[in-house]
Amino acid sequence: MRRYLRLYLYFLRFSFSRALEYRMDFWFRIVMDTTFYAVELLFFTVLYQHTKLLGGWTLDQVFIFVSGYLVIDAIHMTVFSNNMWWLSIFVNKGDLDYYLVRPVSSLFFLSTRDFAANSFVNLLMAGGILAWSLIRYPGTLGSTNITWFLFLVLNGAFLYYILHMCFIIPVFWTHTSRGMVMAFFAVGKMMERPDQIFRGWLRRVLVTVLPLSVVVSLPARVLFEGPTPEKIVHILGVTACAFLFMAWFWRLALRSYSSASS
Amino acid sequence: MIKVQNLRKVFRVHKREPGLTSSIRALFRREWIEKVAVSGSTFSVAEGEIVGLIGANGAGKTTLLKMLSGIIHPTSGEARVLGSIPWKRENSFRTQIALIMGQKAQLWWDLPAADCFLLLREIYRIPEDRYRKNLGRLISMLNIGNEMNVQIRRLSLGERMKMELIAALLHSPRVVFLDEPTIGLDLTTQRAIRDFILEYRAELSPAMLLTSHYMEDIQRLCKRIIILREGSIVYDGSLRRVIEEYAPYKEILVHLRRGIGAVPDAEDLSRLGDVVECSETQVKIRAPRDRIAEAANELLQRFSVADLSIDEPEIGDTIERIMAGRPEEPR
Repeated sequence: MRRYLRLYLYFLRFSFSRALEYRMDFWFRIVMDTTFYAVELLFFTVLYQHTKLLGGWTLDQVFIFVSGYLVIDAIHMTVFSNNMWWLSIFVNKGDLDYYLVRPVSSLFFLSTRDFAANSFVNLLMAGGILAWSLIRYPGTLGSTNITWFLFLVLNGAFLYYILHMCFIIPVFWTHTSRGMVMAFFAVGKMMERPDQIFRGWLRRVLVTVLPLSVVVSLPARVLFEGPTPEKIVHILGVTACAFLFMAWFWRLALRSYSSASS
Repeated sequence: MIKVQNLRKVFRVHKREPGLTSSIRALFRREWIEKVAVSGSTFSVAEGEIVGLIGANGAGKTTLLKMLSGIIHPTSGEARVLGSIPWKRENSFRTQIALIMGQKAQLWWDLPAADCFLLLREIYRIPEDRYRKNLGRLISMLNIGNEMNVQIRRLSLGERMKMELIAALLHSPRVVFLDEPTIGLDLTTQRAIRDFILEYRAELSPAMLLTSHYMEDIQRLCKRIIILREGSIVYDGSLRRVIEEYAPYKEILVHLRRGIGAVPDAEDLSRLGDVVECSETQVKIRAPRDRIAEAANELLQRFSVADLSIDEPEIGDTIERIMAGRPEEPR
């Protein structure tokens, strides 16, 4: 574990030195992500001009929920996103070779090697928005609830990565992941909505086999309703199962890796 | 150190006719063909041995290396490298091998080599003192100076290849797979890399499998070669034996003194062997090895010889014929 942490510190160091070389890209990403955050918050502000509650939540509660999502998205963009992007290209061009001969987990290496240092400022911004939405909340939120919520937001970021990865891994067979990734971002929109607006089988799917609502909606529920053992076990259990599935899927996919002709 | 038994790799490839119509048809129904990249290879490589894998493009050399380094899974067959099954990718196996591909970079493009080496030290868990010792030795063997702190993308191809070699060998691997390590390099760098490989082998005795299209690499580095044709091994043995077996002749080249002595006649000389060239000043005859002395003696006696040389045939030509499936010398 400590070895992987040390490796990750190297990745961070290298990524920062690389990112600071390209100034335009650095500033442009900040502008782009700030716009995205504003649009997300504005969307719900406009929506709440027509209703008082959405899925049982007030505007203040939704602000916390959306801020939680923004933090998860920022973590994903900063820690995993670049790697996900490159993975499809590597598989397609047969460039995984060197990653597979190294004595470290190829999944870890390929998922974390490229830290998007130019998104790091956005992570701070998203964290700021979450802090602001928690402070301005008119009700009382216990410190236990907040601690669990923050922990489950981190867990949500990990689950987001797992889900994204599961949509990319088929590239080993399809050789292009564009369709699958677009499908992920299309269904991923459901992650940005409170789980209570979904009903019946769709809701059951979203909290189990395709656990998009487990990413941020259930953690927000823990914040507002309290951390019951059922909720915690459910969220962590689903994440653990998703992780085991991804690890198995990855190993299966590597068996089909064909590299490229020289 | 490397044992391979009936190793086979078949790729399933989508067969596609040119044109838009066939592309649309392929959306609904595809035709697949099986392409045999490696067909039942069996061989072994011992410690300290450098074995050259030779073959035309698509003969299966790189596929074989990729299976033995654990990158791709075989369709069938067995292989053990240092006692491990490569495609299980156990860490104990991966810490003891190295792969160098002349056509693919392993180092971070935007970083100086020194930083990349630090990361590799962590990946391979090389103790600090051993890391310093190995790095120092490799730097001095490859004659590298200040380039260590220059971004990889700013280095010349030759300098980059040297860095790639250091990166691959920092952890003192016991098995090294070299896939065209000198491709695209100038002659001086090629020579430097060949010398380095020999020196490295002399010091650490790893088993090495080398692929190259440059005969100079093969002749200088490998005592033993494996020739592949369309995925099958067609020759496995010493480089010297390939000449004796597939080129059972030598070439006599005679320069004659103009206007002195007899004039050579091609028809008459054909008794000695194949007459490749016959003029007033020069005769070139390809004669069987066991009759070479007799032929040379007769030429010396009959003509006024200014100079005479006996050469082995070009090994590259011989190997090329074997690779192409025409091992016999054309008459």
